Amino acid sequence: MSIPGLGQAAPAAAFSAPILEAPVAVHELQANSEWRFEVEIGEKIDVKILSGTAEIFGTELAVNHLYTFRGVKSSIYTWHGCRIEVTGTCEEYTAEETPMTQYVNTHFALEKLRDEAAQNGREGPRVLVVGPTNAGKTSLVKLLTAYSLRMGRQPMVINTDSREGLLSIPGSLTATPFASIIDVEQGWGSSPTSTSSPIPVKLPLCYYYGLPSPEDNTKLYKPIITRLALASTSRLTDDPAIKATGMIIDTPGVISQGKGGFDLISHIVSEFSVNTVLVIGSERLHSEMLRKFSTYRTSTGETITLVKLDKSGGCVDRDETFTHQTNEAAIKEYFFGNARTTLSPHTQTIGYDDLLIYKIREGIYLISAPIVDPSLHSIAHANSFLPGGVEETEQGLFEKVEPNPSMQHCILAVMYATVNDSQDAVRDASVMGFVYVAEVDETKRRLRVLQPMSTRITDRPLIWGSWPEAAVSLVG
Amino acid sequence: MSYEIPEEEVAQDFAAALADLSMNSRYEISNLTVIARENTASALAISEALKSHIKQTSPAKKLPAFYVLDSIIKNVGTPYTLFFGRQLYSTFMEAYALVDNNVRSKMVEMLKTWKEPVPGSMDSRPVFPPEVTRPIENALIKARTSFLQAHQEQTRSQQSVMGRGRPMPSSTPYRETPTPPGNYRAPPPQSTPGFAPNYPAQQYPPPMNAKQYPPQAPPAQQYQQMPPNGQQYPTQQNGYQPHGLPPRPPSQQYSQPPPNAASWQQQYPNQPQSPYQAQPPSMGYASTEDSLAALNSDIENLINESKAEWSRNPHEVSFQTKLKALFDLQTILRSQTLPPDQISLIQNQVAQLKKAPQSAPIMQTPQAPLPPTPVVATPAPAQQPTLSSILGPGAQGALAALLARQSATPQTSSAVPATIRSPQQANIPPYQPPPSVTPAATPIPDPNSLLGRLRAAGMLPGLGATTSTPTPTVSTPTLASPPFMNTPPTSARTPLGIIPNDVVLKPASLKIPRPHLLAGLYEHLGAPCTQCGRRFQSDEEGKKKKAAHMDWHFHVRQRMDEAESRGQHRSWYVDELDWIKSREVEGETTTTTDPSQNTSAAKAAKKSKQQYIPAPDDPTLASVPCPICQEKFEMKWLDDAQEFVWMDAMKVGEKIYHASCFTEATKDVNTQAKRGTPEPVLGKRKAEDDGFAFRAKIKSEA
Ligand SMILES: [Zn+2]
Ligand SMILES: [Zn+2]
Repeated sequence: MSIPGLGQAAPAAAFSAPILEAPVAVHELQANSEWRFEVEIGEKIDVKILSGTAEIFGTELAVNHLYTFRGVKSSIYTWHGCRIEVTGTCEEYTAEETPMTQYVNTHFALEKLRDEAAQNGREGPRVLVVGPTNAGKTSLVKLLTAYSLRMGRQPMVINTDSREGLLSIPGSLTATPFASIIDVEQGWGSSPTSTSSPIPVKLPLCYYYGLPSPEDNTKLYKPIITRLALASTSRLTDDPAIKATGMIIDTPGVISQGKGGFDLISHIVSEFSVNTVLVIGSERLHSEMLRKFSTYRTSTGETITLVKLDKSGGCVDRDETFTHQTNEAAIKEYFFGNARTTLSPHTQTIGYDDLLIYKIREGIYLISAPIVDPSLHSIAHANSFLPGGVEETEQGLFEKVEPNPSMQHCILAVMYATVNDSQDAVRDASVMGFVYVAEVDETKRRLRVLQPMSTRITDRPLIWGSWPEAAVSLVG
Repeated sequence: MSYEIPEEEVAQDFAAALADLSMNSRYEISNLTVIARENTASALAISEALKSHIKQTSPAKKLPAFYVLDSIIKNVGTPYTLFFGRQLYSTFMEAYALVDNNVRSKMVEMLKTWKEPVPGSMDSRPVFPPEVTRPIENALIKARTSFLQAHQEQTRSQQSVMGRGRPMPSSTPYRETPTPPGNYRAPPPQSTPGFAPNYPAQQYPPPMNAKQYPPQAPPAQQYQQMPPNGQQYPTQQNGYQPHGLPPRPPSQQYSQPPPNAASWQQQYPNQPQSPYQAQPPSMGYASTEDSLAALNSDIENLINESKAEWSRNPHEVSFQTKLKALFDLQTILRSQTLPPDQISLIQNQVAQLKKAPQSAPIMQTPQAPLPPTPVVATPAPAQQPTLSSILGPGAQGALAALLARQSATPQTSSAVPATIRSPQQANIPPYQPPPSVTPAATPIPDPNSLLGRLRAAGMLPGLGATTSTPTPTVSTPTLASPPFMNTPPTSARTPLGIIPNDVVLKPASLKIPRPHLLAGLYEHLGAPCTQCGRRFQSDEEGKKKKAAHMDWHFHVRQRMDEAESRGQHRSWYVDELDWIKSREVEGETTTTTDPSQNTSAAKAAKKSKQQYIPAPDDPTLASVPCPICQEKFEMKWLDDAQEFVWMDAMKVGEKIYHASCFTEATKDVNTQAKRGTPEPVLGKRKAEDDGFAFRAKIKSEA
């Protein structure tokens, strides 16, 4: 609308907004097509839906709202067609062939199970997503989560893949109830901070595994999974909204491809009472799972429904470099926030002698049979009391170490435990938070650490894992 | 909206410029308007900056800030209209509570123009939709009425002290009289330049003319109930009642489309008066009637235009269908008492139609409208059994048009789904037939078939096949079927139970597209929030959620701004036990695990903050501070109480204390239970109260 006369006043404007000279493109997407894009780490694009409907991994995008994506490989799908305006450079293309019909139908099938569960006063489906690395498991988990949220559900999302964090830094395993929209710009969103967030924060329960693959130390991985399942199941049974919705469980790709994988899958299936398994991409895995689970009954006597879904062509291989950069970004975000919210971590100097640090031993395999007996759940943390048959631990899971220069730029997990607790108790404890070792001063025998808040941490054991790897310096 | 640095900067600069605005400076207001226009990408941030400035600035600076708001919405329009509209009620009423009478009358004056189209604009819709302005009007009436009632006896001496207005000349409100008092009929002195009737362009000028925001602005008077045809509406309660007369042919004065909805005011123009006296307490209803009158006149114009078109193209069936639909709509309006919400929905729809390119209206002898024929058209799909639910897309369509107003190509009457996002869902209460309608003289056309025909005539957005066919089809929806129908109220979540869901986890079953189920992720969920895309149902519960949600967005921005200066940090994760016990409260609640929140002391403190008493009318009493802390009380318009209140206040004997001060001072003596302080009924406005508590906290920290 032009107002006569007003135009001349324009030069007098007190200032002009900085205008970024970034390329702008408008894409017309047909119904049922997907716009896939990759933004390099350190780069960003702005995306605006001009018309139509669009969603990112199941979360609907608001029209005319500016979304910013940084260092991410992602895609925007439209069921009805849309026009999108993209500012900035990225690699991109549009795909017409997607498994979205299958995926959305999977959601509707789950909805049906949820309705049935609610009618019978039972728990909603516990859905396990398996498939090889880069098959799109996390994207499917996110999609199913987002769809169920849109229907007013409250799913519990479980991440058993330590390679990537979910609302936490890599190395952790988490359970998170979702009751509000997923933050499409920031992966899954943010855990609580001292301020408000434009997308509601999520509240994860966090455990620390500290290694990239479950097979690096099954003896540590399995009890943590057991503990995670115990806590999530307790919450699920207490919390009606979650109970009616159920769980969606993401898994590491490696357990779907390695030899020892099935053992870990069946451990997760058993601990979480999984009754629905979605197998992405791998026909071999699907038939193997069908064979092994055909006679399986969950702890509640249910059979397991298994279905194979197609892999999305949009799944991209994430190479080591990308993973490393992503990890670093996740650590940075944990301490310093994101483009929207700047966080100021607390810096603290702690003497060597004031700290109890456990280093995770690697390469320990649990040789004995997997724990499938549900009665073990409640005493899982008391493994050491188990009668013979289970390997005795002549050396602990953790090695007590003194701070040393190799800790520089590493992450330590602060555990909800005391320095007097046994190693098993520490293993089973959930994580209070993480500190980053900014500097190790050998001469003065002290560490400078970043921690989210100024709380004292010397009364708690810290766990030092090898995942995530040491980051570049976050400070100075 | 991303909270990018540029946007923050724009907002910050904007806020800085605002902070300097202490008078009605034409130059500055114009500048700020230009900034707003050139930075629509930052519209949200700018709107929030202005809103929070209005909230926080001293009473003396509030009016200039409102002039900025006024200028932006009139000269830039969307998206500012949407952003300001959302919180307009609280922005307006909170300021109104704090300013002096002179400013109040200016504000009322401004509000009046917001119900009008932008002067000189081609767009015939009001600056703010009635859903936005009406609650404010109602609150003002309520405030004024209760004030007048309270002061009827002891007025004369006080009116100059309080200055809120003169008492009513008698206890009989105007609305009881069949005609308004004669003096309002008198034509106005035409001499006052800039005060010409019917709001010519100069009166609310673009910023270049901002000096004409006159200190002696004409008082608001358009609320006089002057129906266009001189007939009186028999009662307030029922709005436009059946006249028992045949539909009135358009009279001469309407043969030309009025430039705006209130053109009839030309006959009864304004007359400078004390603003409050000039507005009878029935204002709110009058505005409904205004709309109704305007709507009727709009429909008649459309009928005339359609007739003309039809006569030129007698074989074109669509004109005939359209005409018929219009007649039916007219009949409904005349024979039924529709809730204001529905009227405004129809109004929006009609406004959209008016906007559509039409051939010039042809003056011709109006024919008697065809008798309404209750033709059974397309049976309505089971999901949309009521007029109200079907009107849903109308509201959205209108909002689409509102958005389109700003866009370069205004010809978007065939709404693409894109433009249909609305920031606030139209108020569509479940349709209930009026409790006691005089039996209509003519059969009332089935609204469903009417709307079916409106749709058939292309006057309403088509129903997506997805909503009307509950059986699975292999086709998938396309752009042509916008999936934005509102559906009738359902429970909090959308149970798929109402939609046949045959999907099972089998490869074959998963491959079949099911657009009808997909609708359960889109249109069945209602209209999306413009900021985050979350959809809300249009039923009562959905509206409540939506309101809380919008409040939440707003307060988040506010809190983030506040927190920016303090420094923030990530919180520790909760431990197992706390986590197991915690609950996600409907979406937005930031889970707090601070144990102090749960202590009874914290609860008591919070409770006392929520206590309020009606603001004392007695000016001497009103100026006495809290005896404990010697601070003044915060006056606030409380919607639930429908009056001005003092927050965190309680009366003990003859004295008024801050409830929190009193509780603190007497906490060992359990006297609280006996106090006659009203229990707050604040559940509905919890978010706002939290905001209040938050402000109080900030204040105490400062
Ligand atoms: Zn929202
Ligand atoms: Zn006090």
